[in-house]
Amino acid sequence: MAVVTPKMIGERIKRREDPRLIQGLGTYVDDIKLPGMLHLAFKRSDIAHGIIKSIDVSEAQSMPGVELVITGAELKEFLPPMPIGTPFPSPDHYSVAVDRVRYQGEPVAVVVAADRYLARDAADAIVVDYEVLPAVIDPEVAMQGQPALVHEAFENNLAVPYVPGGTGFDAEAGTVDNSAVDKAFAEADFTLSQRMMNQRLAPTAMEARGVVAHYEPGKDTLTIWSSTQNPHILKTFVAALTGIPDNQVRAIAPEVGGGFGCKINIYGEDYVAAALSKQLGKPLKWIEDRSEAFQATIHGRGILAYVDICGKNDGKVTGLKIKLIADIGAYNMILTAAIPTLTMLMLNGTYDIPAIRAELTEVFTNKMPTDAYRGAGRPEGTYFVERAMDMVARHLGMDPAEVKRKNFIKADQFPFATQMGAVYDSGDYEKTLDLALKNANWEGLKAERDRAKSEGRLVGLGVSFYVEVCGLGPSASLPTGGWEYSSVTVERSGKVTATTGSSPHGQGNETTFSQMLADQFGIPMSDVTILHGDTGVVKQGIGTFGSRSQAVGGTVLMKAGDKVKDKMARFAAAMLNPNEETDASEMVFQDGTIYFRDAPGNSVTFADVAAYAYVPVPLPEGLDPGLSEQAFWEPSNNTYPYGCHISMIEIDRDTGEPKLLKLIAVDDCGTVVNPLIVEGQIHGGLAQGIGQAMIEEVVYDDDGQLITGSFMDYAMPRATDFPRFELDKTVTPTPVNPLGAKGVGEAGTLGSTPCIVNAAVDALSEFGVTHIDMMLRPEKLWRIINQGGKS
Amino acid sequence: MANETPVSIKVNGKEEQRDVEPRLLLAHFLREDLGLTGTHIGCDTTQCGACTVLIDGKSVKACTVFAVQADGSEVTTIEGVGAEGELHPVQEGFWEEHGLQCGYCTPGMIMSGIHLLNENKNPSEQEIREGISGNFCRCTGYQHIVNAIQYAAKKG
Amino acid sequence: MEVSGDHKFEAPRTAVWAALLDPAALKASMPGCEKFEEVGTNSYDLTIRIGIAAIKGTYTGNVQVVEPVENESYRLVVSGTGKPGRVQGDAKLMLSDEGEGTRVTYTGEVKAQGAISRLGSRLLGGAARLMIGQFMKAMEEQVARREEAQDAKEKGA
Repeated sequence: MAVVTPKMIGERIKRREDPRLIQGLGTYVDDIKLPGMLHLAFKRSDIAHGIIKSIDVSEAQSMPGVELVITGAELKEFLPPMPIGTPFPSPDHYSVAVDRVRYQGEPVAVVVAADRYLARDAADAIVVDYEVLPAVIDPEVAMQGQPALVHEAFENNLAVPYVPGGTGFDAEAGTVDNSAVDKAFAEADFTLSQRMMNQRLAPTAMEARGVVAHYEPGKDTLTIWSSTQNPHILKTFVAALTGIPDNQVRAIAPEVGGGFGCKINIYGEDYVAAALSKQLGKPLKWIEDRSEAFQATIHGRGILAYVDICGKNDGKVTGLKIKLIADIGAYNMILTAAIPTLTMLMLNGTYDIPAIRAELTEVFTNKMPTDAYRGAGRPEGTYFVERAMDMVARHLGMDPAEVKRKNFIKADQFPFATQMGAVYDSGDYEKTLDLALKNANWEGLKAERDRAKSEGRLVGLGVSFYVEVCGLGPSASLPTGGWEYSSVTVERSGKVTATTGSSPHGQGNETTFSQMLADQFGIPMSDVTILHGDTGVVKQGIGTFGSRSQAVGGTVLMKAGDKVKDKMARFAAAMLNPNEETDASEMVFQDGTIYFRDAPGNSVTFADVAAYAYVPVPLPEGLDPGLSEQAFWEPSNNTYPYGCHISMIEIDRDTGEPKLLKLIAVDDCGTVVNPLIVEGQIHGGLAQGIGQAMIEEVVYDDDGQLITGSFMDYAMPRATDFPRFELDKTVTPTPVNPLGAKGVGEAGTLGSTPCIVNAAVDALSEFGVTHIDMMLRPEKLWRIINQGGKS
Repeated sequence: MANETPVSIKVNGKEEQRDVEPRLLLAHFLREDLGLTGTHIGCDTTQCGACTVLIDGKSVKACTVFAVQADGSEVTTIEGVGAEGELHPVQEGFWEEHGLQCGYCTPGMIMSGIHLLNENKNPSEQEIREGISGNFCRCTGYQHIVNAIQYAAKKG
Repeated sequence: MEVSGDHKFEAPRTAVWAALLDPAALKASMPGCEKFEEVGTNSYDLTIRIGIAAIKGTYTGNVQVVEPVENESYRLVVSGTGKPGRVQGDAKLMLSDEGEGTRVTYTGEVKAQGAISRLGSRLLGGAARLMIGQFMKAMEEQVARREEAQDAKEKGA
């Protein structure tokens, strides 16, 4: 392989995506207008649970401008139930409810009209008569089969009745041996128990969902633009459901205004738009309102845990038992059932805990289904474990950082096979902890807290350490395939065009991938174009989720680049030394030129070699014309980035209002291609984690009515909610990909929630409180202050 | 369309005359009637600020104004702020400081930033945070946005 | 959401009580009432048009008078469905003497489902209070009118 000195990788390069976006020139799905395009609106259920007795569409149908009104029962005739991406048994889930509604906001009928105002008017004119059934809201009540069954075929509302894991679990035999866990608890100096709720959240991408479907009858082709994180999966699923062959479907993710996991799923609205466009032979558009997004875009988290932790008085944790109950809502979406299994997988945290018993149950309720939301299962696991470790420290009167240190998986133990069945690739946790403590001036902070407390202020410190599973993954870990795809073409001019199956929505792949190719080929970044998000252009792909863009998408880009580079080196060698057998691996690509390592004075330009490759006279022996290659690649394992977060908060004694004063984070995501972008990713993750800890929560009332159905009631974090984050990093490359990159997109959501709740408990320790469920509503904290620890 | 009203609005320096339904939102008027799709819509309750534009120099959420209410006024959208090669300092700040990720909130955020700096040439960090607290961003955690506005303030 | 309040009628308890149970008086007092039809003892189907933003629309539903204790109290159970969603209400009305007149005290709960619940909840309390106020004021007229009619009847007799 030719050698190039890295120049761009590791640099703070400003993004090449930005010029169009800061001028308002980006094209999001709602910016797409096609001739003759009609608009969709959905009539949604007002109730959480009920049988549809009748739907009166007569008024809607007679309104001017209305092209079609169609109910779920009518759609069912040509639109099968939606596919999912997990192997668990699942009830039929139609795009539009057929005879029964199971969450408030579930679509019951569809209107197609000339403009969106008319479509909404007509949808509002549809009258649905229901027989109301009791709403199944509390997952622990639901597990008793009360007060009703969400799906008749799922006894006691159990979507996934029981999944065990941990020490003594034999996955092949399906047996569980509790002896080691029982022994650990029997011999422990102490056992602490706590029920902890990781509440429901609304992902809330600033661009809600949207779709434009354009079926062209003459060609039997469908082009579908959707605000999605994975156009290739959209293409595959839409083809399967509409019966249009997948080589006749083109899916395009235009500019996507944020995803955070909620745009992995392929939704009923996507299928309906495609199917009705096919039926009507006209382009259709649907744009989700924010109030619809709260009701009908997947929620995140919603996992309850019963945690028992035991250990020795020196701070060594010897056993952990965690019972997880996931409130998954009314249906399985694409990854719903798999998300809590990621919580399970990560229950070791960063610790070598000798005996762990984990049990998982997933429960149907009459709520919007949950699915992947930034972190997707891992923040829940981190939260439960880190809260439990903090309780141990508090119980023993030890410094929480030292309890972590005592139980860490040590640097020389990697790769480390965890009790939960993961193989952590690489790490040096103590190094990261030490840097975080140093950056925070931990001893100084503690003195500051003590001084504040002595003045009567409620100030607390929290520290948390997380590890996540990223860079998903080998194909064994993903039902859609765990690889990624890229192609690299050197054009006749010497410019480079690359495609990637990683479909970004704010991650800046155009920039980082250009940096990589610029280094690889020794050319300016401005000569590289990265194409993505269009299945007509990018032949294959999986998508952007699970912090995989750089680790998997970046690696395969490099692999495709290497293939082209090899061939180009041979063309260059033929130009420089036409008469001799040469070793292409001796060629150096630098500053737009190519030369033999030993003869830098004698070079050809990159552009000249490119031109030659397309008109190769004479054609070098053993070479075909052209410079375009593609690659598929999947990693042998996931990656396991980690980090340490420290926070300081103050709670107002009179009002209970918490204020985050400081947040210090040290993250280790392996090799960093662009520090500016990595910082942005961490900031964003932190904001969402802090939002979860402090102000965000999706709330349904006892009847299954969504109480937090708009930004008036769902607290989105604002600029004033945050202090200036103080970031730093350690770099421990992963061995599972040649870049050494681990992934960072979700990191900030993991460390922040336990870090902040730990700080809140510390601040209120004088009231005897040992745990506070998120979010930290002032009223909740006020009660602790005024009622002596009973939250 | 029944019941239409003529409006005359100067948008980015150009006089625009249309007949509109009284219920047509200014945000939809800009996007659909004028094709100025840089103004985004992120909510339906006037919280998120993605649709922020300037009306007669004041930052306004275009989803809370009917087109008919803007009759006779001057509207500036992101398209009227600056172009490549001659970017507005706030736009430049967003680029230099990585003040955006997905870009959806960005036009509204930039308009709020411009208005903020028009009112206060040298805001403190807290004043910037308060100044943009009517605009939601889900991607950035706001820190780089604050940096972007500070960059613009410094440039003057 | 809880709603409570009271209203003073310048009429004796028996007169107020009778008016509060009189379908004609109820119909005439309910703001925007387009239909009020007895479908059983103390049970009425009704159609009401509400013109307040966010909960605007025509609602059809049922109202029942339950647990009547003569001249003392009754519960009013209301349910209605309209395009903006569903509304349920359950209120207790209590009568007491106050000077020459009667004070009606009410306390109850209003529940909304659908779009009303999401977007109109802030308006719902105000709307309910507004409508109850309109109802009480109109009912006052009804009480007076019934008394006049009664007087006329007695005079005529």
